[in-house]
Amino acid sequence: MAEIAVTSSQLEFTFDEIMTEDAYDEPLIAGGVRCHGGYTNGEYVSPRGAVRRPAIGNWQTRLAQAGEPLIAVPEKYVPPNYPSYPQAKFLLQEGIVEPVTRSLTIISIVEGFGARIREVEVPDFASEIEESVEGTALAHLTNGLFEAHARDEAGHRDQGGHKQMWEAARDVGLDKPEIPNDVLLRLMSGPGRGERKRLFPALSETMEGMITMMANVLIIETFAEGTFDWAQELLGDPEISADAERAAHIVNCVARDEVPHVDYLTVALSELRSRTLRSADGKQAFTGAEVIDTIFRQQLRGMATQRPRQNRERMREEIRGCIDDTKRASAIARTFEDLDTGWTFPHTDDEELDILLQPA
Amino acid sequence: MTNMGRLIARPYRASRIGWTALCVWLRYKIPAWWDLLLRRDPKARDLSAVHQKNADHIFDTAVSLRGMLVKMCQIIGTRSDIFPREFVATLSKCHDRLPPREFDVIKQVIEEDFGADLDSVYSEFEPTPTAAASLAQVHRARLLSGERVAVKVQYPDIEHIMHTDFATSRRIAVIYSRFDDNPMDFLPLLDELQKHLRMELDFRREVESADRIREFFVDDPSVHVPKIVRQHSTRRVITMEFVDGVKVNDPAALAAAGIDTKNLMTRLMSIFNRMILAYGFFHADPHPGNIFVNPSESGKPVFTLLDFGLAKELPDGFGMGLFELMFSMMTFNESAMLRAFKELGFKTQDDDNDETLLLIAKRMMSRSDTGTFQGEFTEEMTDEMFDAIRENPVVKVPTDFVLVARAFSLLSGIGHALGQRANALDAMGPAPA
Ligand SMILES: Nc1ncnc2c1ncn2[C@@H]1O[C@H](COP(=O)(O)OP(=O)(O)OP(=O)(O)O)[C@@H](O)[C@H]1O
Ligand SMILES: [Fe+2]
Ligand SMILES: [Fe+2]
Repeated sequence: MAEIAVTSSQLEFTFDEIMTEDAYDEPLIAGGVRCHGGYTNGEYVSPRGAVRRPAIGNWQTRLAQAGEPLIAVPEKYVPPNYPSYPQAKFLLQEGIVEPVTRSLTIISIVEGFGARIREVEVPDFASEIEESVEGTALAHLTNGLFEAHARDEAGHRDQGGHKQMWEAARDVGLDKPEIPNDVLLRLMSGPGRGERKRLFPALSETMEGMITMMANVLIIETFAEGTFDWAQELLGDPEISADAERAAHIVNCVARDEVPHVDYLTVALSELRSRTLRSADGKQAFTGAEVIDTIFRQQLRGMATQRPRQNRERMREEIRGCIDDTKRASAIARTFEDLDTGWTFPHTDDEELDILLQPA
Repeated sequence: MTNMGRLIARPYRASRIGWTALCVWLRYKIPAWWDLLLRRDPKARDLSAVHQKNADHIFDTAVSLRGMLVKMCQIIGTRSDIFPREFVATLSKCHDRLPPREFDVIKQVIEEDFGADLDSVYSEFEPTPTAAASLAQVHRARLLSGERVAVKVQYPDIEHIMHTDFATSRRIAVIYSRFDDNPMDFLPLLDELQKHLRMELDFRREVESADRIREFFVDDPSVHVPKIVRQHSTRRVITMEFVDGVKVNDPAALAAAGIDTKNLMTRLMSIFNRMILAYGFFHADPHPGNIFVNPSESGKPVFTLLDFGLAKELPDGFGMGLFELMFSMMTFNESAMLRAFKELGFKTQDDDNDETLLLIAKRMMSRSDTGTFQGEFTEEMTDEMFDAIRENPVVKVPTDFVLVARAFSLLSGIGHALGQRANALDAMGPAPA
């Protein structure tokens, strides 16, 4: 593959350029399945990064030079994975593998569905944004960024993506556990997708939909960092993992691949923040900051409060569900809950969430 | 002999079936003999007119003889993986568009099964049925308590007829296979058919299926399965809650009933996903006649599922295999597609035929709007898949897969009528609230 030189001033890229792979010495094979990315000088290098990586860097730099802040989820808002590492380890040591297997399998499928980002509809920027979007990440969303993201998550052609990598980490670490047959049911039940109330009904539905979707994915991707740490600790623990080093490494590869996702979504939303959005009828204008901050805060609050609660409730049910002996079930549940971090979202409903990172 | 007497007389039935079979066989063979005589390539001949003629002939015979023939036609009408398009289109009419039987006969079945007069169970009973199919017809009625009910009654002589027809068909199949150098093997199909029939003839089974599926959705107010009045249900009669509702594929009627049709297909797909992918037991006949819709208090659709005669248990791991097949088709991942095909029970004669399985998947995708699989088994894609399978007889398709693919393509047809997508992958998350 030809080396592609990206200069630090280049801001426009073609679709094919964004997809360009680095030259790897060898591919990543996880759990016997060929996956994306590969190794250079023994180091794992994420897929489709030869141009995408420096390109995102250039857009970031440009935004910082303009003195614009970045939108971000501060660490204090990130819920730790549930169950925690000590909780999950305790279950595995008690021979209760099912809840962890289920959890890892659901993660793999949900990651795979990350590919749906390629279907996000993007509005006509020329008519709905006052300023130009030339040379921005925004202008490249449908020109490679969404598609590269989708392929990273679900895999593409002969290369597996995060879906297959999570499956591999599970199978390597827990030695091909039996997959509970209620995984798909879990995925499909649960609280219904609530109808989204429009926060800015004057904007086009496509514009608000796109912003909401991107904010949502950015928050999920940031929350996932807690899950990566958890999985690396757990599957990397030789006391419970069948192949601690390998399993943790595979999770680590996934974690590294997510960095460009967080980065491009952050840049694109922040670029939009610094612009002026026009209403669908063209008669009103909103500052991007007002629109994006409102939507982002609302999404963040919803997800950070609901998720930990739902996870706790479900896990309790699952533990009871997979132990026949009720006395033993109560004993296990008690120890399990003693190990709970007790984390809850550290904010009341009316407090404003701080979601901005000022430029250095 | 009375018309009725003739209808169940064995020699008459056997000769009509035999005559039909002979005509069908000759319509295929005579042109082939001509080709042989004139040294023409028999493969070059366009058979669609012959297919159509044969299908019409079989349909007419089925309509007059009923019984097993109708059932056989119904199955042919669903096996587009084996039979030519013309057969499938014509014979699928046997699913619900058949003329009904006289009321006296129906009344007699009910009284025999209940061991009591019709009047002692129902205060009203409409003599004209609302629908009639292969095994049964459905009447409106009212219980003594005043409750409105639907009564599904099996045709009286059906068991006898089935038995006769089965023996006849078997004999014809054996004779045919002796005459033809390159026979199509009907015997496995006949065996499968008999297995199904024995299950379907006992309505108590249908009642069990309905109860089982109702239980899946106890917590879901968007799904309704009519309650069965067990004390007035027998082997040949089902008395159940009468349900009014709008046919699911009629947008004007849905709107008139004040039903919010936004995401209607996603909601419906989510219901079938839960049965097929998650519970492994499903209603395998979701044609529009079997799904009614009513508005909930907030105007959201409530789906009533009817007719559990064709409810099917899927093997362990089938749902996951199907999900993996759809997912790998979405990402063009060929090795994952092969793994999923095998998990689902697809078999090929030897391992070199893996290419054939991939080819089938590719041909299917080529018939979608975007050239990729995005989660919907459209009717076109399903047709293409079955065409490809027919052209490549090295591939054995599991019956369960055929039933599921057919269910999805029926749903896609409903989606088509509503201008919405029947996307199974999209409906994988929690249902829209
Ligand atoms: N509970 C009911 N309330 C109202 N109408 C009903 C009810 N059950 C059935 N029907 C009507 O009767 C028609 C036929 O019933 P059903 O689908 O159960 O039998 P069938 O499929 O025709 O028979 P088979 O499957 O044995 O060939 C349905 O399409 C529906 O219109
Ligand atoms: Fe991912
Ligand atoms: Fe991601």
